[in-house]
Amino acid sequence: MAVVNGARVAAEIEIAALGKVFGQGEAAFHALKNINLKIATGEFFTLLGPSGCGKTTLLRVIAGFEQPSTGALAINGRQVAGQGPNKRPVNTVFQSYALFPHMTVAQNIGFGLKMLGKPRSEIDATVAEMLRLVRMEALAERRPSEISGGQQQRVALARALAPRPRVLLLDEPLSALDLKLRKEMQGELKRLQTETGITFVFVTHDQEEALTMSDRIAVMSAGRILQLGSPDEIYNAPVDRFVADFIGETNFLTLPVAGVSGDQAHLDLPGGTSAPARLPAGLAAAPGSSVTAVIRPEQAEIAPAEGADLTAEVESATFFGTDTHLHLRLSDGQPFILRRQNRPGQPPIAPGTRLGLVLAPGALQVLRD
Amino acid sequence: MGGNGWKWLLCAPALVVLVLAASGPLVIVAIYSFLSPGNMGGVTWEFSTEAWFRVFFRRDIFEPDLVTWNTANLAIFWRSVWLSIQTTVICAVLGFPTAWFIATRSPRSRPFWLFLITIPFWTNLLIRTFAIQEMIRNNGTINTVLLWSGLIEQPLQMLFTDFAILLGMAYVFLPLMVLPLYAAMDKMNLSLIEAGYDLYGSRGAVLWHIILPLVKPGFIAGSILVFIPAIGAYVTPRVLGGGQSLMLGNLIALQFGQGRNWPLGSALAMLMLIVVVVALVIYLRTVGRSDGERRV
Repeated sequence: MAVVNGARVAAEIEIAALGKVFGQGEAAFHALKNINLKIATGEFFTLLGPSGCGKTTLLRVIAGFEQPSTGALAINGRQVAGQGPNKRPVNTVFQSYALFPHMTVAQNIGFGLKMLGKPRSEIDATVAEMLRLVRMEALAERRPSEISGGQQQRVALARALAPRPRVLLLDEPLSALDLKLRKEMQGELKRLQTETGITFVFVTHDQEEALTMSDRIAVMSAGRILQLGSPDEIYNAPVDRFVADFIGETNFLTLPVAGVSGDQAHLDLPGGTSAPARLPAGLAAAPGSSVTAVIRPEQAEIAPAEGADLTAEVESATFFGTDTHLHLRLSDGQPFILRRQNRPGQPPIAPGTRLGLVLAPGALQVLRD
Repeated sequence: MGGNGWKWLLCAPALVVLVLAASGPLVIVAIYSFLSPGNMGGVTWEFSTEAWFRVFFRRDIFEPDLVTWNTANLAIFWRSVWLSIQTTVICAVLGFPTAWFIATRSPRSRPFWLFLITIPFWTNLLIRTFAIQEMIRNNGTINTVLLWSGLIEQPLQMLFTDFAILLGMAYVFLPLMVLPLYAAMDKMNLSLIEAGYDLYGSRGAVLWHIILPLVKPGFIAGSILVFIPAIGAYVTPRVLGGGQSLMLGNLIALQFGQGRNWPLGSALAMLMLIVVVVALVIYLRTVGRSDGERRV
């Protein structure tokens, strides 16, 4: 069983205390360290992190291209560590697509079924169905070199989906596409996942892609999973400095703790007021000590100075089209970025102006460090 | 003449080399094959199809009208083609795992392995061929060791057999197969192999359906590089094949030497060229096209 966003559902992939070491002795590189993870059936699960964080290695371990050095890996309740990729009910969409250049589009899509020894009539029927699913019927007899990058992407998807795997692994599949095509394929992927009901494990370094497509996200860095949660949790309640910094833009504030009640802390704000903030699970913040709290730039609003949570002075303003970023300095000298929605006729705010700020309730989040 | 005339001039050195070094001798050989032999070698300028006739047929000494197939020449022709095909297959079978081994080493150590492959080129072919002779002759290294160990009681007759020729030619031409195969493997995207395994292919299936088709250009280049020099090989059959096991190269050389029949030698050389070209065309037609027609 896996718990996904509060609900208990059957686990498709169970990873326990998994580690992966490349090389030996002095040169040993720990690519994965103590990974514990349960991915639910039918889930769109994303591994998000910068390059070199271990997300692709974890995907390759699940696929069977790499064997774990330590720990256990089960797919659909069966231990698969030690098995090769051809023995696992899992298919991969490669970053480079890896379409067989000497085969036609239809032959590429049918390859997995052919290897499984399916009868010809079934292969033909499934290939036709897959071509329809990815809207490539007209190009079935083309070679991969004769179709565009976006079309190759669709063929790679169809080829991996054709054997009806229990899990589809996607290794940064959209990174080679231009922005417009990438947006289109994001929607396409989501549609395919919903239509097929197959569990997707998606690797990306693009936080926006992860936030828009995923049911759950695991943020990885240096071989570890730093935070696991829904896009909303990852974005609005980051518990780790790396996660908060990697995803979106955020303000880091060092604030003293006034008091703690349950999973809430009251933090003293510069200027004498105080505000509630969420504590990460298991963190005991002693009153009087200082903690780092984060708040997103859009979670504060300009308000009259009387009754405001904070006061700040405007240092500069950057225009971004839909909004303007105001670079502020709080009364105790800490920097603060405020995102202000642009509206027609709204007077610009000149540097040097003193503003009052109101923080959205529940917007402050304490970090674990 | 505009600017293009000058561009043509820049091509002149290459054209001169092509005409003089490549086409020129070929034209001379073609012309000689239709002339009459001179008494002390060379040719006399007198048109004759006798050389071509004698490539295929022989006249009875006593009854010139009695014409039979020249089975001796045709047998040598067939022997040369057959031995060259076997050499090419042996080189392909040995060369594939060798090239694969090199292509799967770390990028840093690959130049070292390639260097080892090319080391035989550093020594004269004749010397290397005599070294093989020394190894396989009746009282040579291999027979001495086998007799000493008691595995055999009589020395094995290896020298002056087709086996000796195949051994020698496979040894000489193996690098010419390994290098193009390595080049083809080096270009191959390794994730294609992973994709093959991922799509439930066994090791054999991935080798057959993915690796072999992808390194086919290497096999084609390697086969051409091995087959063509093999069919005209001179030193190897001479040293290892002895007097009875002639190949085409030896037969042609014989006509220009002791035989003193340059037109016949030229006709044989032209025929060899035709055989090679025809073999190449057939080979490229069948191998080069098959993947377009093969269905999953």
